Amino acid sequence: MSRPALARAAIVAVAWLALATFPEWSQFWESSRFATGIIRQILIFAIFASSLDLLVGYAGLPSLGHAAFFGGGAYAAAIAAQRLGTDELVVSLGAGILGAALLALAVGFLAVRAVGIFFLMLTLALAQMVFAIAFQATDLTGGSNGFSAVHRPILFGIDFNAAGNLYLLVCVTFLLVLLLLWRITTSSYGRALVGVRENERRMRALGYDTRTLKLSAFVLAGAIAGVAGALSSYEFRFVSPNDVALSTSVTGFVMVLIGGAGTLFGPVLGAAVVLLIERVLPSQLPAQTVLGIVFILFVVFARQGIAGALRRMVRA
Amino acid sequence: MTFEDALQQALNGLSFGALLFILAAGLSLIFGMMDVVNLAHGAFYMLGAYVALSVTRATGSFWIALIVAPLALAAFGLIIEPLLLRRLRGRHLDQVLITIGLSLVIADFIRLRDDWGWGATVRSLPFPAGLDRSIQIAGSDYPTYRLFVIAFSAALAFLLYVLHRRTRLGALVRAGVGDAQMLSALGVDTDRLFTLTFAVGAGLAGLAGVVAAPVFGLQPGMDIDALIYSLIVVVVGGLGSLSGAIAGSAVVGPADTFGKVLFPQFALALIFAIMALVLLFRPTGLLGRVRIGR
Repeated sequence: MSRPALARAAIVAVAWLALATFPEWSQFWESSRFATGIIRQILIFAIFASSLDLLVGYAGLPSLGHAAFFGGGAYAAAIAAQRLGTDELVVSLGAGILGAALLALAVGFLAVRAVGIFFLMLTLALAQMVFAIAFQATDLTGGSNGFSAVHRPILFGIDFNAAGNLYLLVCVTFLLVLLLLWRITTSSYGRALVGVRENERRMRALGYDTRTLKLSAFVLAGAIAGVAGALSSYEFRFVSPNDVALSTSVTGFVMVLIGGAGTLFGPVLGAAVVLLIERVLPSQLPAQTVLGIVFILFVVFARQGIAGALRRMVRA
Repeated sequence: MTFEDALQQALNGLSFGALLFILAAGLSLIFGMMDVVNLAHGAFYMLGAYVALSVTRATGSFWIALIVAPLALAAFGLIIEPLLLRRLRGRHLDQVLITIGLSLVIADFIRLRDDWGWGATVRSLPFPAGLDRSIQIAGSDYPTYRLFVIAFSAALAFLLYVLHRRTRLGALVRAGVGDAQMLSALGVDTDRLFTLTFAVGAGLAGLAGVVAAPVFGLQPGMDIDALIYSLIVVVVGGLGSLSGAIAGSAVVGPADTFGKVLFPQFALALIFAIMALVLLFRPTGLLGRVRIGR
């Protein structure tokens, strides 16, 4: 390992340890429990936003239907745990990942045929179909009521019903997902995805099967969104059609754009900003309006997001 | 299904298709001219319906609302286009993204305006006087308002066709769809033309909202439903042409209506299946000029 890489790894390790031990070192702060809950939710949505960024920022696929896989994962996890009558983490998380990946395969099969704006239209429309299924297939999904009182899982006898354990589970999963995404985006496969974004025709001329490349990225991103969905079902102990709804897709997109598309930490920053707006802002302020206006301002004035603006500041 | 039922459902499908045409025409027009899929189209539709609700309450007349609401939405479009979209000219994806933000703000605005009689509860707009009864068709009663929707939409299609083919403005729009840059080089103020097109598209969305309100009512979420249906119509029919909007709504309207009657559980799956088939085998849509897929 070269020296700068070693230094970077050390910074990441220290930052993660600080994050993972937050409940301990902040325990004398009166809002510690409240803050820990918000951080847990930020990390879950950061996983979701990062998976979307693999499509939006790296592969250049502006998906407006990513909630289908977040919600799909949440439903699959809850249904598997309930039907099989088990609280094993491996079962429900595995079902969440598998369900979301299969769903992404079906949606992606059609969607990757469309280009640019049409890809966005198709993902939106197909995700809305998933929403309709979640709403109408009452026997499977509980309809508009969804699942309430979802059990929190156990692993090797560790019970994630305890808030502290759940926090650690989220922190560890977050780290693993970010490491995986870092590995993917710096690999030759990730480079090929960026190549598709920049000039798909040239990539095809070079002999890449770009449709398969795009579909594989779509399934991968869907599976990771499924992880976030399963975690969200443990966090809120509730799964509802809202998890599959367009507003959730848009929220994910806003996180990616605010943070900075095509960067590893941008979506994490974006998730933090959006959730802080939603949870900490006085509740009389209309959250959707604020979100919409922030989104418009970022598209017009700061298309590179916070990460892009920071990078420019460092360079200047 | 008896013959009477089938006829009734065919009329329902036709009137739903007629409504979808009004909705999709505006989306298609804006796309044809500006290469922007206006994802606030559903929000414009919703806003049109709520403006019509307020106007009808204030004046007691649906017909005044039918004129005022589309004009209000067109005026809104006249403000929004130069304000938000013009500065992003040439950045199509960003223009599309802006319209998502706009639709969030509009939907939230409507949800919070309880004091205007809007808000999050379901509202209804009564059928206009004279069209609130049924007539006998093939031995069963059929609401006259739905027949009015069919006639109204056909008249609108004819009007749009004449405007498009027989007027100077129509010629400019056709030229802009063909090559906006060249049109601008020839000395036409394309910025003004874009703004006007966007305003007409927004007005059409508002018009669809007014026409639909007595049948479907007004509630949160209607914006997304309208957006999804209009997207499906333009994908099936083909984007950017009037005939594409007609073809798409003629397929999707009846298909959706019969789907809901024959297999209520899979109604949505049916129209999505149609969309998937069109996309796989005819990537431009039935009558489109733009390739949506490859």
